[in-house]
Amino acid sequence: MWNWATHPVSWLSFLGMLIGTVVILLLTLVVVMYSIYWQRKFIGWIQLRIGPNRVGPFGLLQTAADVFKLLIKEDIIPNKVDRVLFMIAPIIAFVPSFMALSVIPFSRTHVFTANIAVGALFYLALSAITIHGVMIGGWASNNKYALIGSMRSAAQMLSFEIPLGMSIVGVVLMAGSINLNDIIAGQQHSVWYIIPQVLGCIVFLIASTGELNRTPFDLPEAESELVAGYHTEYSGFRFAFFMLTEYVYLFAMAGLFATLFLGGWSGPWLPGWLWFAIKALIYITFQFWVQATMPRMRVDKVMPFAWKVLLPLALFNLVITAVLKAVL
Amino acid sequence: MNFVWSWPVIAFYIIALLTLCCGVIMLSVRKVIYMALTIGGVFIGASALYFLLGADFVGVAQILIYAGAITILIMFAIMLTNHEATEPGFKWSPKNIAAAIGSVLLAVVLLLAIRSTAWPTATTSQTALDGGNSNPMAIGLVMFKGYAIPFELVSILLIVALVGAVILAKERKEDE
Repeated sequence: MWNWATHPVSWLSFLGMLIGTVVILLLTLVVVMYSIYWQRKFIGWIQLRIGPNRVGPFGLLQTAADVFKLLIKEDIIPNKVDRVLFMIAPIIAFVPSFMALSVIPFSRTHVFTANIAVGALFYLALSAITIHGVMIGGWASNNKYALIGSMRSAAQMLSFEIPLGMSIVGVVLMAGSINLNDIIAGQQHSVWYIIPQVLGCIVFLIASTGELNRTPFDLPEAESELVAGYHTEYSGFRFAFFMLTEYVYLFAMAGLFATLFLGGWSGPWLPGWLWFAIKALIYITFQFWVQATMPRMRVDKVMPFAWKVLLPLALFNLVITAVLKAVL
Repeated sequence: MNFVWSWPVIAFYIIALLTLCCGVIMLSVRKVIYMALTIGGVFIGASALYFLLGADFVGVAQILIYAGAITILIMFAIMLTNHEATEPGFKWSPKNIAAAIGSVLLAVVLLLAIRSTAWPTATTSQTALDGGNSNPMAIGLVMFKGYAIPFELVSILLIVALVGAVILAKERKEDE
């Protein structure tokens, strides 16, 4: 594994770090572009439509065209906003989402994976920083819908982070480590943790949907009541950054789910990165499937659901796991 | 003092500079929301230093609790309460002068204490500190073997504080 701290200080090793970052960023952008394409196509099929099919073969360049449109749009900053905060809010939201990818092991050879001892916790901690970007963006917009949207978003992301973390603890208990690489190694020796941790897996799936602000918990941007939530006033590439954050988190959460419950890159016959891609795609497709099937939950039912249903379930799972681990 | 450039040293100076910048900005801006944001920056800078020192768990806990929960709580308080968005400008008053002298004295005392302490150097091996365990495991072993009773006492204190906060909030509601 590449260790930055032991390399001598030279432009060459700096270039190495820079290239690594840029490669991951490009990879992430491609993944995000094609998950948006897959979302539109897949939901189209579910709703008996065709989906995007005009730009490029099978509409494959549709999202590229959309991104290009957003990038060349005029950068509008409304008059009454708090200029500095309005401009840096998308950055504060995006940077942690990209950093969170650093702990997720993409493949057998960990080229870009940080082997830190607290991988799963690191992910949770970073996603808490994104909440700042969302809150600041909504507040700086000086718009009541944006403010309500950002408040809902912050409260919801904070609340769902707790059952999410508790459902991870079950896996951590089984693997005996918070390091994501060790968790995969633990699953290679036994079965994928989705089988013994089925309750934790269900809690994780629901809580991660809430954490990602996706349907049926997409209240922060409920268009029928809040226009567009916290990014109402945003347009052009600042809006694109908020969208990018959302889909990078979708990818990161898919990676986390694959790593924690589906054995990550491990699997027979196929190479590691392909296994990882398949498992991540399963999670992403599940999210889109839910999005096409479920109506939005009522706002006053979401928080009690997180605190009074998901959290006790996760704690129950934790107790059972601990007892079984001690007995067996 | 022999000084060797290495990537961690460069990272330390960048992080320290950013953290200090956040601190100075926090003291000099007059808008409360900027203060909340920059204090978040200070917390994140501190946690980056912990990561640099190899204390992964402390760094993550710092982000989760301080940069995550506490800063967001401060922001909620700022956004949901009724108050002046900007603070009045700075004026020298006897209270401010006393506070300035006090903080300079504190800084001098801290500096003297830091300079006169013999800190463990690189010759102290890592395994002597964590017994060859990973970072969270080492902390868990120490916490539940060596310091189990203080740890439980602290958790009782936290629960009492939580219950106290609930009671205080409830009483105010009944008054209205």
